[in-house]
Amino acid sequence: MKGLAQIRIGWLAGQIPLLALVVLCLVASALSDRFFSPINLNNVLMQGAVMTVITIGMTYVIVCGGFDLSVGSVVALSGCIAAMAMLEAGIVAGVAAGVAVGALVGLVNGLVVTRLDVNPFIATLGTMVLFRGVTFLITGGRPIVGEDGLPEPFLDFAIERLFGIPFLVWLPVLLFGVFHWLLHHTAYGIRVFATGGNTEAAYLAGVAVGRVRASAYVWCGALAGLAGVMLASRLQSGQPTAGAFYELTAIAAVVLGGASLFGGEGKLYKSIIGVFIMVVLANALNLANVHSYWQQVAIGLVIVAAAAADRLRRR
Amino acid sequence: MPAIEARGLHKRFQATRALEDVSFAVEPGEIHALIGENGAGKSTLIKILGGVYRPDRGAVAVAGAPRRFAGPGEALASGIVTIPQEMRVVPALGVAENVLIGHLPMRRVLGLPVLDRAEMARRAADILDRLGIDIDPGARVDRLGYAERQLVMIARALSHEALVVILDEPTAALEAREVERLFRVIAALKADGVAIVYVSHRLDEVEALADLCTVLRDGRAVERFARGERGRADIVRAMTGRDIETAHADPGAASTGILLRGPLGGEPEVAVGEGRVLGLAGLLGSGTTELLHRLFGGARHAVEIEKSGAPVRLGRPADAIRAGIGLVPGERALGLAMALTVRENIVLPNLPWLARGLRLNREEIDRLVARLIESVDIRPPDPDRTVRQLSGGNQQKVIFARWLAGHADVLLLDEPTHGIDIGAKAQIHRLMRRFVEDGGGIVLASAEMEELLAVSDSVLAMRRGLTVGRFSRDGDYTEAALRAALGG
Repeated sequence: MKGLAQIRIGWLAGQIPLLALVVLCLVASALSDRFFSPINLNNVLMQGAVMTVITIGMTYVIVCGGFDLSVGSVVALSGCIAAMAMLEAGIVAGVAAGVAVGALVGLVNGLVVTRLDVNPFIATLGTMVLFRGVTFLITGGRPIVGEDGLPEPFLDFAIERLFGIPFLVWLPVLLFGVFHWLLHHTAYGIRVFATGGNTEAAYLAGVAVGRVRASAYVWCGALAGLAGVMLASRLQSGQPTAGAFYELTAIAAVVLGGASLFGGEGKLYKSIIGVFIMVVLANALNLANVHSYWQQVAIGLVIVAAAAADRLRRR
Repeated sequence: MPAIEARGLHKRFQATRALEDVSFAVEPGEIHALIGENGAGKSTLIKILGGVYRPDRGAVAVAGAPRRFAGPGEALASGIVTIPQEMRVVPALGVAENVLIGHLPMRRVLGLPVLDRAEMARRAADILDRLGIDIDPGARVDRLGYAERQLVMIARALSHEALVVILDEPTAALEAREVERLFRVIAALKADGVAIVYVSHRLDEVEALADLCTVLRDGRAVERFARGERGRADIVRAMTGRDIETAHADPGAASTGILLRGPLGGEPEVAVGEGRVLGLAGLLGSGTTELLHRLFGGARHAVEIEKSGAPVRLGRPADAIRAGIGLVPGERALGLAMALTVRENIVLPNLPWLARGLRLNREEIDRLVARLIESVDIRPPDPDRTVRQLSGGNQQKVIFARWLAGHADVLLLDEPTHGIDIGAKAQIHRLMRRFVEDGGGIVLASAEMEELLAVSDSVLAMRRGLTVGRFSRDGDYTEAALRAALGG
């Protein structure tokens, strides 16, 4: 019985992010009766959608023992390239180009980290700056809008709804399902966790650790690329300045979800809860008319407090 | 009057009772051994003596005066020095600095305090001389090996006017010759009137060294005896609370085919037959670990081996696993992903045949894991527990279990019983015996010669990566012969 009680306490401690999100929603609705209005909820979901897609990839990289600072730059680069390709060759080519360029950046990150054995923090810090520069070079620093704007169906994607919910929100739901299955229910997923938990042990157990680590960066890049395309649809343009600080928000979301920055531990759904803690917090502060400078202070405090609480729990 | 005395110590950690009514005393110039299985309470006791933990009940007295230490610093100040297993030396500094760290001699230049190097070198040389330690006080510590660093730590203890020196498993990583040198230093300490607490699980050392011996089991001092009062079997029974039989090799068993030969053209080239155990004898750094890793494809360059008569090229561990070879590495940290569950750790190397593409064969995995947990006796038998939560012995069984899924017929074992308690050790020996009885072959590297000779059919002795002797049961198959070959 004692064992059972301990397991329950352990399980409960693991659900703190979810409880925090629920409490946050209740507090937000107490502060403002607009919080649970359809328009506001729609807003929250739209804001969470792009970040969810990025965070899925970030969770893979972090569980695998890595780190990716370049996703914000990838969002901008892929959004602009998608918009340019779309104006030249249509929607399908544009979306494909955006995702492909993200995957390519991910592959570069993965190879630099695994083949050249560069610390992931430094490697992706480099590619973060590099690809932001590339984005400004190819756009000349100007948004990509086109003379008559981007194709209508592309812009509709962020507006049109299915069962009252925008397509832009359905996409992350679908992706979450696929990537949750891949990470938590397949042989590949076990290899990702083992590689992040103990690279040497995984290698000695026959895991091709280099390929597994590189694959995580490719997923992360491709998903950031897709997020860039989604954002371009929302913004009705390719914006070279888009995605600033997205990498930090995504990493913070993964940490809020309780994943270990040393790798080998984490749950995808908890990272997504982490995303919505950030989004709802910002939204609630907005509704309460808190100045945006103070919002940054509050979000920063929450991240530090969550990380510290996690260390205390593990001690 | 005892140099240090503990009376009626009690200590709990949440639900676990670490010490219960333990009393313990050491006279000046006496060596008192503290033995027991893992989790018996040895480290808790020495941590209380060293001021790291405070007892829930009971008292500690130093040279007759009752003391309550607020921390390790206070214990050190009253002359109780602990030499831990992990070396707390400053590698970038010299030997003299490391010996005298904490109270370095100073002189004044223009009214400012400056390190007095001449005085420091003189004092350090003095202490090293007194202990008969032949190390240059001017040498940098990062140039020294583990054994020398340990001696530097002991010399540091003497620089503190130590009344009591606590040695925690000091020989765990030493070669035979280094052990002898350490024993001479311990004898010098004893002659100096220092009281010595010697924690070990090597009974031969305890027999050779200790004046008194206390056996701890489940947090209690179950037995105390003077040198020569107890036989080996009695001591083991006191430690474990039961009789332990070691599984011995059966020299009569016939071997038919050679399972593994390799690395082809390598030195040494080893061969192991069906139903056989080949022992690799060698001390730390002798090359036995490297040999096992080469046979597993874990070396920088690919190696060629012959597996069941067919040539196989091993470029990486996955090749060896496919060929039916399993490795239990010497450090458990190399074998396990601690944050993963027992199930995942067992399944990991077997994924190629437990998954179709990405899809896991859940039913087969659950059946296999349940069977293996029962067969190797992992406790608690919970496949969803993370490996981190298991004891050292049970972690080792998890690594064993993964190779018993039925695909490996050769096991490479590197010190598989190092640092686990006697009960778990006997279980590991039984698993090995069962594996060879089922027709498997084992290559076993161990620094414990007695164990190695008992469970092997033949033994290859290594030194500095080279073969220095081969021993089989129809020749001179004794510890003495093996020791002579190893130059111990």
